[in-house]
Amino acid sequence: MTALLLWVGVLIDLWLGEPRRWHPLVGFGRCADWLEQRLNKGSDFRRRISGLLALLLLVAPPVLICAWLMQWPLLQWLLSPLVLWFTLGFKSLGDHIEPIRRALEQGDEPEARRRTAMICSRDEATLEIERTAVESVLENGNDAVFGALFWFCIFGAPGALAFRLINTLDASWGYRSERFLYFGWAAARLDDLAGFLPARLTALSYALCGQTRRALRCWRLQAPQHDSPNGGPVMAAGAGALGLKLGGPTRYRGTLVKKPILGEGRAAACEDLDRSLKLLRYSVLLWLVVISLIQFVWILAAGVF
Amino acid sequence: MDNPDFSAQALRQAQVQMPEHGGRLRRAVAEYGIPLERWVDLSTGINPCGWTIPLIDNQTFMRLPENDDELEAAAAEYYGSSDLVPVAGSQEAIRELPRIRQQLFGESRVGVIAPGYEEHRYHWQLNGHQVERLAAEQIETELHRFDCLVLINPCNPSAVRFDQATLARWHQQLAARGGWLVIDEAFLDTEPQQSMIQPQMPSGLIVLRSLGKFFGLAGLRVGFLFADAEIRQMLSRAIGHWSIATPSRWLATRALWDTSWQQEARTWLESSRQRLVRLLEEALEDLPGSLQGRGLASTGLFVTVQIDDAAELAHRLAQQGILVRYFEPYSSLRFGLPGNEHEWRHLARSLTEATAAESQIQV
Ligand SMILES: Cc1ncc(COP(=O)(O)O)c(C=O)c1O
Repeated sequence: MTALLLWVGVLIDLWLGEPRRWHPLVGFGRCADWLEQRLNKGSDFRRRISGLLALLLLVAPPVLICAWLMQWPLLQWLLSPLVLWFTLGFKSLGDHIEPIRRALEQGDEPEARRRTAMICSRDEATLEIERTAVESVLENGNDAVFGALFWFCIFGAPGALAFRLINTLDASWGYRSERFLYFGWAAARLDDLAGFLPARLTALSYALCGQTRRALRCWRLQAPQHDSPNGGPVMAAGAGALGLKLGGPTRYRGTLVKKPILGEGRAAACEDLDRSLKLLRYSVLLWLVVISLIQFVWILAAGVF
Repeated sequence: MDNPDFSAQALRQAQVQMPEHGGRLRRAVAEYGIPLERWVDLSTGINPCGWTIPLIDNQTFMRLPENDDELEAAAAEYYGSSDLVPVAGSQEAIRELPRIRQQLFGESRVGVIAPGYEEHRYHWQLNGHQVERLAAEQIETELHRFDCLVLINPCNPSAVRFDQATLARWHQQLAARGGWLVIDEAFLDTEPQQSMIQPQMPSGLIVLRSLGKFFGLAGLRVGFLFADAEIRQMLSRAIGHWSIATPSRWLATRALWDTSWQQEARTWLESSRQRLVRLLEEALEDLPGSLQGRGLASTGLFVTVQIDDAAELAHRLAQQGILVRYFEPYSSLRFGLPGNEHEWRHLARSLTEATAAESQIQV
């Protein structure tokens, strides 16, 4: 059953993409900003507790409502693919990469640069377009696709929803800056925890769908040097699977951040934008097929015993 | 103060001019006022996407180098000959060979390819040999006057090549009178079939290789010398046991083993080379006056253009944050390969700017 709902959710995402007019996550982001401005004050300890509180206030109600609705089978059937669609950013990832690729092919560097700056928090003037775009596909593949698929399989629609909301809060609060170091602590740690297993499965599926041995070697040797426990395996394995050398010093809001080298081989070029999307698509297909098989065996086993 | 040193060695050292290298990027930063990270440094012929260094076990740093590790076997496999000595960069062999020649044969007449990597000339002179610079076209007619011929194939910076048949013939001529043919193949890894390395190195033929260029590991300081047993033995004695650091030996072994990386790098470098040739041809094609393109030649790792006003073009490129190597005596510029699309675009844009500015100037 889960597998069937999963297929439907993914297909809706591929068909409709990101909601164009109103996106619930935008509203959610506004609420988050509003709460942050009111609660992010006082001592370090107080900020830490407030951050946790804000997170619970924001995540618990929608997830509980979603879980409550799931008790009616008909609603579960109808709603859960829609919730999954809402938590997935699979098609939209490609929709963001496509204009970059087109601009690059037309030799319109400023446009490609502008479009790339929109999907990351790097300095527009100095970012390396191709490298940033490929890194973004690999990383968002984990955050906006596989994490949601994973938690959907474990806890159904509420699981996927909770993951996506926590991940969104981590993206807005999970920084090591003075302002967010304490307030964003809960969101960052919870996101690390929620992403732990999916990130490793994502890394494994990148490896299986690309240059496997190289990906596994990069994962083993390079991921520990990365300061994100989940981003490390995903990026190292993804870069290795594509045979690209990514990572290295990067400028965020005016400061140069040292990042480890990820992967090995040549530098990213324009054609690698499509290659990375293809890697992501094959990996999603691999997940859907494997999950369907597991479910099939499960049903057979249940019938036999 | 010390007494003045009048030894022959000291006098020679005072006369022989030392080649100049490196540090250009930092100087350019100061000179042009562009911050370091905005430069695209194309001034070396080093692979910009070199072999990736894996994590090194701490143990490796605690042990002294061992000559019976796997390095020599890995090199024999890669180069196709076990008649080799690992050296701390081919530089170490460049430094020791003239001394070994002096010990075995005394002062010799040595022809050194010019234009070419100046370290060869410097060390042969320093060790008291009679050195003459030879252009590639002169070698055939002048060879009879020399005991040793030192070539770089393909040559840095001119990108001149020598084919195997010619090299074999020159080796025969020199070896017949106890002479040496020294070939520095630092830039040959993209076309290994052109190498003069043989499973059994004949006497009088000496080949140098480096991990600094194709593998992009110049800082590792690992290279190899291929020669007959006598020279290998003398070189090994001269350099002693521990000239290559243990981590360098360990990493070099892994790089030499990594045949899939090597294959991929060859393909990638070849397409980059073609792209750079195309870009430079287009940019320098129909320039008026002093930038009139004259000659363009390439190896797997760099492209050299000979043009009338090379200094001016180098200066204009530097104003745009592109550092290339300018060779004054030959009025040429050497362009290394850009390492990513960011650098390619920067180079293309700067070439357009630099050459457009030129056309507005009355020459
Ligand atoms: C022709 C040539 N040979 C040898 C070397 C030195 O190489 P290594 O790093 O192995 O000492 C260089 C370096 O610039 C070179 O250009």
